[in-house]
Amino acid sequence: MDIAEEHRGDITIVEIKGRIDSNTAKTFGERLTGLIKAGRMRVVVDLKHLVYISSAGFRALLVAGQLAEESKGTLALCSLSSEVQRLFDLGAFTDLFVIYGSREEGLTKLS
Amino acid sequence: MPSLDSDHNGSLQIGNTIAEMKKVVDFVDRFCAIHHLPRNIANDVNLCLDEILNNTISYGYDDQDEHSILVTLSITGNWMIAEIKDDGKPFDPRQSVSPNPLDGLQARRIGGVGLHFVKALMDEVDYVRKQGYNHVRLKKKLQPSD
Repeated sequence: MDIAEEHRGDITIVEIKGRIDSNTAKTFGERLTGLIKAGRMRVVVDLKHLVYISSAGFRALLVAGQLAEESKGTLALCSLSSEVQRLFDLGAFTDLFVIYGSREEGLTKLS
Repeated sequence: MPSLDSDHNGSLQIGNTIAEMKKVVDFVDRFCAIHHLPRNIANDVNLCLDEILNNTISYGYDDQDEHSILVTLSITGNWMIAEIKDDGKPFDPRQSVSPNPLDGLQARRIGGVGLHFVKALMDEVDYVRKQGYNHVRLKKKLQPSD
């Protein structure tokens, strides 16, 4: 898994490439919670190049989402492939997150 | 090192640490590449092995000792089969509950979701406890085009 980070004003875009599994979920989660704790309250996680996400990855996403909620921030996701969307649906996670079709839509809505 | 023969099976032995699971991902990817299986098959098998092995490594042992886990991959007819053999506590992965979509972000607990993925993404999941070992068998049906 590779993580790229980009700042557009107050919004932070976190782009994930590869797999979020048991081996990488901790790094992924710590990056997201680290951003929120550092005061980056509007985060868009771009999942366009995510291959798959395991339950350990969903756990990390839930923890970061809860932290954002408690901090009055927003953690949004964007650009889910159909394979990744299928995992969100199977785990009944789709309605738990703000999900945008594209990075541009996420940036517009959060601005 | 994993062993992959020219026939349709291969095996890999790993230790009971999360860091070892990277070897499993590479093993599955290599097996699927050799047998010209599509990406979605490799991804589904990798995801399900991650869930089963994570469960075994995280909750299967009461001691701090090193244990070996054997992962075997094979193709039989129209099936790709992944088998896991471990000496952890008896655990039947078929016993999982579906997540409740009505629970909100704060209420959600992740337990059970991983095993729900396994049941949903594999075509068959078998389990037997034999001579002190858990034997889990995951079966994924290959389409004619695979």
